[in-house]
Amino acid sequence: MDTQSQVKTTAVKGTDTAREVRPMVKDIYKAAHEARENGKKVAYMMVASHYDEILRAMDIVPLPTENYAGLCAAKRDMDRFLLRAEADGYSQVLCSYARIGLGFDSLRKELGHIPEGSPDGGMPLPDMMIGSSAICDPRFKWYQATSRYLEAPTFSIDVVAPPPQADLNRVRDYYINYQKEQFQGLIEFCEKQTHTKMDKEKLWEAIRLGDKAWQLWYDIDRLRVAIPSPMPSQDHFSIMVAGHYYTGTQKAVDFYQKLYDEVKYKADNHIGVIKDEKYRILYGGGLPPWHTLWIFNYFESFGAVFAIENVYRGFDPVQVPSHVTDPVDFLAWRTWLRATAYHEKARQNSGNPTVEKLLGIIKDYAIDGVMFHACRSCRATTVGQTHIKTELGKYCDLPMMQLVSDMVDLRDYSEAQWKAQIGAFIDALEARTDQE
Amino acid sequence: MSVMKKIEAIYNNRGDRARELHDAGEKIIGYFCCFVPEEIITALGMIPYRIQGSQTEAIDEADALLEPMACPFARSCFNKALKGEYKFLDGFVAPHSCDTIERMYHIWRANTPSPFNHFVNVPHMMGPSSDAFYKNELLYFVSCLEEFAGKKLEIEKLKDAVNLYNHRRAKLRELYELRKENPPRLSGTEITKLLVAGMGIPATEHIELIQEFMDEVRKRPIPEPDGLPRIFIWGNEIDDIAFIQLVEDCGAHVVIDDLCTGTRFFWEDAPKTDDPFDGLVQKYLGTHCPRSLSTQVGEREEDLENRFGYIRQFTADWSAEGAIFYIVRYCDTCELEGPDLKEYLAKQNLPVLMIEDDYSTSTIGQLRTRIQAFLEMMI
Amino acid sequence: MPFAGIDIGSTMTKVVITDEHENILASHIGPTGAEHRHLALRVMEDTIRHAELSFDALDFIVATGYGRINVPFSDKQITEITCHARGIRSLFPTARTIIDIGGQDSKGIKLDSQGKVADFVMNDKCAAGTGRFLEVIADTLGIDLEKMGEISLAAKGFVQISNMCTVFAEHEVTSRLAEGADVAQIAAGLHQAIAERVVNMTRRLGIEKDIVVTGGGAKNPGLIKAIEFQAGFAVLIPPEPFITGALGAALAGKDLFMRGIKPELPRKKEDVRFFS
Repeated sequence: MDTQSQVKTTAVKGTDTAREVRPMVKDIYKAAHEARENGKKVAYMMVASHYDEILRAMDIVPLPTENYAGLCAAKRDMDRFLLRAEADGYSQVLCSYARIGLGFDSLRKELGHIPEGSPDGGMPLPDMMIGSSAICDPRFKWYQATSRYLEAPTFSIDVVAPPPQADLNRVRDYYINYQKEQFQGLIEFCEKQTHTKMDKEKLWEAIRLGDKAWQLWYDIDRLRVAIPSPMPSQDHFSIMVAGHYYTGTQKAVDFYQKLYDEVKYKADNHIGVIKDEKYRILYGGGLPPWHTLWIFNYFESFGAVFAIENVYRGFDPVQVPSHVTDPVDFLAWRTWLRATAYHEKARQNSGNPTVEKLLGIIKDYAIDGVMFHACRSCRATTVGQTHIKTELGKYCDLPMMQLVSDMVDLRDYSEAQWKAQIGAFIDALEARTDQE
Repeated sequence: MSVMKKIEAIYNNRGDRARELHDAGEKIIGYFCCFVPEEIITALGMIPYRIQGSQTEAIDEADALLEPMACPFARSCFNKALKGEYKFLDGFVAPHSCDTIERMYHIWRANTPSPFNHFVNVPHMMGPSSDAFYKNELLYFVSCLEEFAGKKLEIEKLKDAVNLYNHRRAKLRELYELRKENPPRLSGTEITKLLVAGMGIPATEHIELIQEFMDEVRKRPIPEPDGLPRIFIWGNEIDDIAFIQLVEDCGAHVVIDDLCTGTRFFWEDAPKTDDPFDGLVQKYLGTHCPRSLSTQVGEREEDLENRFGYIRQFTADWSAEGAIFYIVRYCDTCELEGPDLKEYLAKQNLPVLMIEDDYSTSTIGQLRTRIQAFLEMMI
Repeated sequence: MPFAGIDIGSTMTKVVITDEHENILASHIGPTGAEHRHLALRVMEDTIRHAELSFDALDFIVATGYGRINVPFSDKQITEITCHARGIRSLFPTARTIIDIGGQDSKGIKLDSQGKVADFVMNDKCAAGTGRFLEVIADTLGIDLEKMGEISLAAKGFVQISNMCTVFAEHEVTSRLAEGADVAQIAAGLHQAIAERVVNMTRRLGIEKDIVVTGGGAKNPGLIKAIEFQAGFAVLIPPEPFITGALGAALAGKDLFMRGIKPELPRKKEDVRFFS
């Protein structure tokens, strides 16, 4: 029996540079396979754990397993991995990124090789697995479970952030100190695996490149305040590849420079994503629906463009005090500053840092409406969305909507329901314009 | 009144004693999970109250503020708060147990704040730097609570509190010893009532209840052997008797557990240390919750032994013949831990029934067939 | 020596009477359902009459199925999981895996070499993977539930149905129809979706041969074909898939009786008390 041909999942992009991302994605897995052949070490890892530069400085090739799950979804080749993990006893409501990763590793173990036709050649076996508690719980727990399927030394670090009400002056030192010791522990682990001492100069170099790329990325996002929008959110979900998977490399810097030039040109010349931009939408939060990214184009068909988003974003640039001269100290400070960037504002206004960030975006980007994406299997980016929506509503009067599905599991998605909701949202945007 | 009647009265009207104490001018500090030291609250002259949900009340109001894909235990607690059932709390303390409790702290605080609100960060990793961090978090918690209490913490009082709670722990362990009998003279249902009742009353009162109950159980006649299987229960929050009662109704004895509401919170003492905070750190960070990651030890088999050896001890000492996992749905760390533990127990020929449920008595009945079939399988 | 098993399922009540050599003396099927609450006793009495027996001549009566809890005239209640396994062991001694597709739930059962239950899985919270799911969708497609299997067999290929939530799947089917997809292919796709779900659930146990499919779902040739496709091997089907649970109940009663366990007589000849 034949199934119908591969469904289109991807979105039409707004920028040319974004089209260069696809080969960069392929390169992630290709580089990992090559590294294995050349005796370099490969690590399963979690992006946005603030430790990327350490891996780069130690010549460890990063293999971001969560993102492999996203890739599988974009290729609509996720079911065999999800079902496998579920057959192995993992709950159907467990993080679907983790289910794909566990399912992939389980299948590989059974077959003795990478499952045939795995997207982009599949992930090679890692030499080590490095988790982290940044962002969510499965990210530090998943690799412990993976040890069912493969033998690789596993290590995880804590990434801590204080609540917005904490007296930052009182807690700063021990937060930064703990963060530093966590990074130090990771370095020792990596040194043991690679039998090489970490070179602090190399770490500085990786940090310099990392920060430079992220500064450019931030500058690009600032250009996106332009009307009409020069770069939409669907591009963001591609171009983030450079910032998250190539952190600490020249490649990321070069990529963002090129993208900066293109977006700047578009902004300067008022070249918009769509011809007739009627509404500017903020993607307020939640992991993207990797299985159905064309939904952004569907919004565009009503004149609604996603001007900016609040997920998988780079952190706003932070100023680490000049007295910090050790690169590991620097990383700890940087983590702290990123985590507390909106705390002061929150204390003065809504009490909620995310709300403050979104309010700033709504103002700067002349936003007309906000969309959130709730993912059935992602607690970290979903729990609290309703609250943030409610709190935002106290400070601004915009139409807001919440679409529900999952980041990769298509079984939680209903096209008919989404289209109906989007229709109502567009009506609300229209009614609001009429009032003005 | 028989002691069980007393326990049931508290179990059935959970907030009543705390409300009474609050009305009499005492300060009640509500907290979640197993990571907030009650000793600190008690040493400052206040009364800790472990926040509970309700498996019998439908979650309605919370749904407008908290997503349904969050842990239903947390949603249920919040639902009660929204309905005003936790108005007697003078303080609200949430530890960073997991993603959901962390998120909910902020939502709770924004919607139904108590006069005092505090968040205790808890490391997920284990090791010396994690101990130091948690100790600092406790010291910060103390300074905030001191400000609220209007007095300073006296170290001697903290040491007394450590002794008090260790005494309760010892009493509960003594009670659990009785469950080793076959058949046991006390049921898992009774134990659950006693444990849940203890969450909402001062420790001194709970200790009296435990003692009284234990004296009563010891007077019970030794029952005839009944051949019913002995069950170990693993999972998260079971603050209602419904599930355990169902298991026992189906023909089994629940004899030992590893639950947030069971051994997990009381099994280990807080060791006596020169600086009592060091002992508290050891005790609370040593809590066996899947949300804490033990550092990998050796290869898989050795690592599993390191992670779950204490459970093997439980099942061996209490002669458990089968294990039932009761996972409140959407608990990511439990869902990741379950299959590992199942593999570990299977190697010891202990059959496992893994159940994922919604923390609601309205759906618990549907589990009857599964539980009964599992027990039939063991005969 | 006659033994009876009564299986009160969500839609049907099944009764089987056997002798001590495991021969079926009589069997009978009647509806359950809200409007037929008082029929369980009647189905029982009809079967007893067919076997030319009397109520108290039965040496043991075991009740099973979701309505097993409140059967006043039964001597013991045993779950349908244990009973299906017992019934299948009698029909197919080589069976190691059972897939039971009922009206409201589906189950996977693994048997050890003695034919005893070694492990099982159950889907009882959601209609997906059950007869109820097909019923809803048959309605959406505007075809007879009984004919759905046959219709799907005529399809060349199938339309992928990715939503297993009944409500979502209904939407999906409606939009596929609007796109002009072939009804037979949609039906085939639905059977594939259910089969995938059920087979995958059973994989948790490790699927071993021989595999038996039973329950109402086993009467649907489209579903059987899909299960074989998903599992990758052929399956065995009991001659009368509806009654394996009742058969197993009767035999489980026989086993107890042979171990010296005797019923309390006289039995209460009252009808089943359903929870409202």
